[in-house]
Amino acid sequence: MENFEYFEPKTVREAVRLLVKYKRAAKLLAGGTDLMLGMKEGFVKPKYLINLKTIKGLDKIAYSKKDGLRIGSLTTWADILASGAILEHYPILREAASLIGGHQIRNRGTIGGNICHASPSADSAPALMVYGAQCIISGPRRERVIPIEEIFSGVQKTSLKPGEILTGFRIPPPDPKAKGCYLKFSPRKAMDLPIVGVGAMVRTSNGTFEEVKIALGAVAPTPIRARRAERFLVGKPVSDQSIRQAAEEAVNESNPITDLRASREYRLGLVRELTCQAITRSL
Amino acid sequence: MKTSKIRIKVNGEWHELTVPNQKTLLDVIRGDVHLTGTKRMCDSGECGSCTVIMDGKAVNSCIVLAVEANGKEINTIEGLSQIGKLHPIQEEFVAKGAIQCGFCTPGMILTAKALLDQKPDPTAQEVKTAIAGNLCRCTGYVRIVNAILSAAERLRSIQP
Repeated sequence: MENFEYFEPKTVREAVRLLVKYKRAAKLLAGGTDLMLGMKEGFVKPKYLINLKTIKGLDKIAYSKKDGLRIGSLTTWADILASGAILEHYPILREAASLIGGHQIRNRGTIGGNICHASPSADSAPALMVYGAQCIISGPRRERVIPIEEIFSGVQKTSLKPGEILTGFRIPPPDPKAKGCYLKFSPRKAMDLPIVGVGAMVRTSNGTFEEVKIALGAVAPTPIRARRAERFLVGKPVSDQSIRQAAEEAVNESNPITDLRASREYRLGLVRELTCQAITRSL
Repeated sequence: MKTSKIRIKVNGEWHELTVPNQKTLLDVIRGDVHLTGTKRMCDSGECGSCTVIMDGKAVNSCIVLAVEANGKEINTIEGLSQIGKLHPIQEEFVAKGAIQCGFCTPGMILTAKALLDQKPDPTAQEVKTAIAGNLCRCTGYVRIVNAILSAAERLRSIQP
């Protein structure tokens, strides 16, 4: 690894100032489970490294019935798994967290880091999407809030502007009548990326789909919502046929690549199968 | 070369070091503190052979920068035994035949310690989940899981 200058800002403002000063030569360090690999391989060579963990308060989880969940971007997967509020009210996010890495990785990896690394296969993305999460972003100008879908702009690219830092997420109070899940398909039961990831949240009433959210990971340059599949299902009867048709829509909305983990065709097949399973499990 | 002064507490002893910023905690444990029980293998947080316990949590020391460990308490495998007497987890690994080449063992044992400190009565599945980040090429894991369950039982019987 190449040498760099190292900073431990105590406030978000300090960190923003450093980012603005050093621009592209600076990198933010959260859990380091992705960044350290990039730095060791020489893909990333920051001249200035800014440790976000020294800023107090970025790793808090706060839940209220009225406002829902506020979760700091430096919250680790271990913290998420230990949270009673997330266990009770946001089980899809908990499910995603439990499938990431292994014990040691979960003690370091953060939800903000996962999103900002912006891998198309980021495990927390489908869960955050079906919960309607928003990203809270601080920067040189005033704080802004955007839907989670809008933070991704390409493979490992975010829409964060220079000097901006994702400080946390806001997730609205969950729909008590809806159920959901996150399905991750990977060869190993741990320490693996998803070949395809599917998040779903469904509310039905009198045998009809009332509200449907479906999000897919690893099948496009960014995690995506399968909006056509969602729109198709709303108002349709709960049946194997409608679920299979919705899955077909999801397949059409996917555009996976062939890589060392799987072929495009295999991924499309997984979308078809896992979308059916995810919706069914959410009934 | 940009460096930082750090203080880390390793197995109960404080060490003051000046390190290049890119040095990892693993580099420092092995190279500066001269404790080579913690192993380097994949050097990328995949295999778990570099596992240490930092402020109570099992971490891959190869992807923690030494500067990030400033002020923190680190426990390595060397810190587990007390004046020539093995820790029950170590004894059970020996007794149950959970050690072959021994390379994964320090990391495996520390992961087990971190687990049992949090969960004194884990199920076999919980043990497997806990060691999912520690690779072993020799044993096939069965004896390792048994050793950890058996150590858990022994540790529970010691506590009142």
